[in-house]
Amino acid sequence: MSFPTADSADIALLLEGTFPYVSGGVSSWVNQIIRAYPEYRFAVVFLGSRPQDYGDMKYTLPDNVVHVEAHYLHGTHTPPLVQANAGNDAVIAQVASLHKVFRSSQGNTACAFGQLAELLKRGEIDEEFFLYSQTAWQFITHNYREHCTDPSFIDYFWTVRAMHEPIWVMARIAANLIPVRAYHTISTGYAGFLGAMLKNRTGKPLILSEHGIYTKERKIDLYQSEWISDNRNIFEKDPTEVSYFRELWMRFYTSLGKLCYHHADIITALYEANRQRQILDGAPAERTRVIPNGIDLARFQPVRAKRPAVPPPILCLIGRVVSIKDVKTFIRMMRSVVNRIPEAEAWIAGPEDEDPGYAEECHNLCASLGLTDKVKFLGFQKVEVVLEKVGLVVLSSISEALPLVLLEGYAAGVPALTTDVGSCRQLIYGLTPEDQALGASGAVVRIADPQAMAAAAIELLRPENWFPAQQAAIARVERYYTQTLMFNDYKQVYQQALGEI
Amino acid sequence: MAGIGFEIKKILRRDSYLSLFTAYTYAGIIGSGPWVLSILGVLIIGLMSLGVVLPHVLITQFQVTITHLIAMSLILTGFLQLSFTRYIADRLFEKDISVILPNFIGALFVTTAVAGIVGILLALFAFPQQNAIYRILLIANFVVLCNIWIATIFLSGMKNYKAILVLYTLGYSIAVLGAILLRGAGLNGLLMGVLLGHFVLFSGMALLIISSYPSDRFIEFDFLRKKRMFTSLIWTGFFFNLGVWIDKYLFWYTPTTGQHVIGIFNASLIYDLPIFLAYLSIIPGMAVFLVRMETDFVEYYQKFYDAVRDGGTLNYIEEMRDEMVSTARLGIFEIIKIQTIAVLIIFVAAPAILNLIGISQYYLSLLYIDVVAAGLQVVFLGIMNVLFYLDKRHIALALTALFAGLNLIFSLISLYLGATWYGYGFALSLLISVVTGMYWLDKKMAILEYETFMLQK
Repeated sequence: MSFPTADSADIALLLEGTFPYVSGGVSSWVNQIIRAYPEYRFAVVFLGSRPQDYGDMKYTLPDNVVHVEAHYLHGTHTPPLVQANAGNDAVIAQVASLHKVFRSSQGNTACAFGQLAELLKRGEIDEEFFLYSQTAWQFITHNYREHCTDPSFIDYFWTVRAMHEPIWVMARIAANLIPVRAYHTISTGYAGFLGAMLKNRTGKPLILSEHGIYTKERKIDLYQSEWISDNRNIFEKDPTEVSYFRELWMRFYTSLGKLCYHHADIITALYEANRQRQILDGAPAERTRVIPNGIDLARFQPVRAKRPAVPPPILCLIGRVVSIKDVKTFIRMMRSVVNRIPEAEAWIAGPEDEDPGYAEECHNLCASLGLTDKVKFLGFQKVEVVLEKVGLVVLSSISEALPLVLLEGYAAGVPALTTDVGSCRQLIYGLTPEDQALGASGAVVRIADPQAMAAAAIELLRPENWFPAQQAAIARVERYYTQTLMFNDYKQVYQQALGEI
Repeated sequence: MAGIGFEIKKILRRDSYLSLFTAYTYAGIIGSGPWVLSILGVLIIGLMSLGVVLPHVLITQFQVTITHLIAMSLILTGFLQLSFTRYIADRLFEKDISVILPNFIGALFVTTAVAGIVGILLALFAFPQQNAIYRILLIANFVVLCNIWIATIFLSGMKNYKAILVLYTLGYSIAVLGAILLRGAGLNGLLMGVLLGHFVLFSGMALLIISSYPSDRFIEFDFLRKKRMFTSLIWTGFFFNLGVWIDKYLFWYTPTTGQHVIGIFNASLIYDLPIFLAYLSIIPGMAVFLVRMETDFVEYYQKFYDAVRDGGTLNYIEEMRDEMVSTARLGIFEIIKIQTIAVLIIFVAAPAILNLIGISQYYLSLLYIDVVAAGLQVVFLGIMNVLFYLDKRHIALALTALFAGLNLIFSLISLYLGATWYGYGFALSLLISVVTGMYWLDKKMAILEYETFMLQK
């Protein structure tokens, strides 16, 4: 399939592992944003891990996407010809000072990086330098001696190499990207790093919109990954210490994040707590703002009319059946609910194919709690259809950002019961005083506490509580979380970045 | 196939002066056996023919023929010697056993074809005075010799020194016996005897290889394909052999120093004998070379690369590197030491030895410098060996090319300067090559980890 290409564009979207090859919340959001601004011409830079990890595009490209590039961090990059070189002490001194800044979390990241990016641009530091030079070798061995707590030098060496490989891929992308008026990255990580590089090269503004927390997601990846070795023997191991290589990767991602925060002109978060976290991680407060996700009210408002007059005792979890959603807590809660309200039912609307083992465990749990006829696994469903019939939207997740499904439920007139993660508290009780005055649109409980959750669910289902919560839900979503609001906010962001204001 | 190092270690484990002596003797026999046997074989055949094969010029013609065939066959097969051994070693490393035999047969086929063509051309045009039988024997001897070098280098690459020694002993015994039995037929009889011995020797080696590396295919030419053999090694093997023989050729074919013997084969009365004797003096050096290289050096070499591969700490890797450097250094210095002793002994004893075998004292000064040169050649081999272990092929190529080039130039200069300078060309070219080699070895050892990690291809 051939990509559209252009000589220039207005906004370059830097997308790591999302649109247009991967479907999901962030990708849908990107699709939404592009379609919202037909007046801007978008260039899409997709960063993937390896070409074979992706199938066909999951989205039809909107007409205003004039330029698409796909690049892969691993597997397509051929290193330059092996050729020894002496290297350059002055350059290594710069690299060392940047690493020192990364390591200490003190000092001026942007400045250290800026000097390095300058060298990169002038070609004084290139991949041959990193891969084959004697000074680079001395620097690597020096750092191994100073900091590495894992004995295996070869693992250290290859970890360092694997870590830096994408930098050269990024440098090449940055050198060849068509001219645009602004860069917009949807995550920190590699895409954010690319954004920082581009900003450095061209001086054009960089916008960062964070949805998830990149470092947190990577942390979970790293803990699940088999390939990171730990070579310490029983005497060297300190059980309180994670493997040095995990730590190294984490610091690397954190550093990438720092660079992105330092270079971004506008930084958006989905909700206030996340904005605070960005500031903690090094984002300058004055450049941050919150732009929550918004939904298309028109899609969900008609559902309200189709709903039964009395709230049905049906609790619905809309989401993939995976451990992060903690479906088991939802099932356990159901045991207590059914004990008190025998006619209650639990629906789980979401695909089970991502983690079949976990789905299996959930089914077994239902059986052992005697809930087989009470808990229904519906598989993937259209959200509007489900929302017509249920009494509560439940989220028992252990991690969320700003779950759209709550807003969709609100718009359809369904209150919510959630755990205290991400922006859930703000979505249920309101953020600002005006928002809070609208009342609670549901309830929030601790994570992994089925008893508390069951109690809250029973309370919420009582009509005297349910109807006010529904009112608050509808009012909240219509006032604060509409697509229109989000589009207006981003229009402002773009205008500011493009110098149109 | 157990390597020689294993055997020597076993002897050394007894940890006494006697065991040390045994180990070195064993290594000396193993390391120098083949070529000492071939020199002795030709000498004995000559001695045994004295008074039987008449006129005596025939004996000289026989010896010169064999010498030339050996020189030519070594230079010709030089192209394959190192490169093909490395090809086999790489296949063994890949555990690709079934390609070894067919490619060995393929190498023999190519060698036979090329040697056959060269031999036929020589037989057709170079010996108008000789009869057809001589010419046929010439071709046959030449082809068999070329194949022997291929098989020998293959077996030494596999560290199968014992088998080589046994087969050489058998082959040369048969050669001597055959030559004695057939000496009635004059020059052709002697050549026929040698051919028989060489044929047995080659057949024995070929049979051993065929039985050690079974395969379902008979012949393949995979080694000739692009990128299967290292070009650098092809030329290194050629230059080394060329370097060893080029001064001899110069002396053979310079009118003042060379005499016409048979067809286009010349000899140099003044130059040949001392160098012949000098090569016998490197037996102790070869013994040390084998013991040091195949036991101590290889041990640390293995440890170094194991540490690199299996996640040793950088300190441990560096320690092993240092041990490797010191064993390599020790090995090279021990070769120098033992050869120095050999040189001193020769200096003291040479006049008596020459008297004993009835050779003119006129040769003394040339013998002295040749003994020094031969000793340097062992040191040179030691350096080359370390370079091959470290896979520094381009340096090895440059060194051998340097050696061949210098030997050509310096030997020409020595011919021009006159008799007092004969032999200095060969010695000086080796000395410069050795010093250059040490310099590079030192340089490469210092950055071994850097090159190992950063410059992996």
